[in-house]
Amino acid sequence: MVFLPDESRSLPPPPLLNKGSVWLGFAGWMSALMDNAFNQRPIFGAGIHRQVLLATLGCVVGYHLVKRAEYMHAKVDRELFEYIRRHPGDFQPSTG
Amino acid sequence: MAAGLRAVKRWGLVAAPPSLAFTRSAFVVRKANNAQPNWLGVGLAFGTSAALWAFLIKQHNEDVMEYERRKATAHKCKQCS
Repeated sequence: MVFLPDESRSLPPPPLLNKGSVWLGFAGWMSALMDNAFNQRPIFGAGIHRQVLLATLGCVVGYHLVKRAEYMHAKVDRELFEYIRRHPGDFQPSTG
Repeated sequence: MAAGLRAVKRWGLVAAPPSLAFTRSAFVVRKANNAQPNWLGVGLAFGTSAALWAFLIKQHNEDVMEYERRKATAHKCKQCS
């Protein structure tokens, strides 16, 4: 099962900072801050390298997850519209 | 005197050894020295972050170019725009 099939590249790519990458980047940053808190270090000032790394990881994972989600939604839409096109009788506006 | 010492500890005026509430692992055995940075770890983390950002930005630009290329190829046969 491929994560991103080749035909997903025909879709417009999401912007670099989309809701998925921003949210997961924020979650990664939060987990670095929580690690500071649990180890009794200064929350914001300690481990900047850790905060940057985890936020970056979150952004990368979020970007690719959003790409896959958009591909899955587009695939379902395509199948839906294809079904509507092949069964026009089922989708006439009701006259009665 | 013991009760007074307990109270003073609770107020944070007397240092207590760090609690093991959230870090119950073998790594706690070695007392972490946060005063001396682990420069190798810092360098690796920043280097990895830079590499990840470069990868992400390159991937995004490639995705945009591929999409534009496929759109142009699809339109070529219909001769529009």
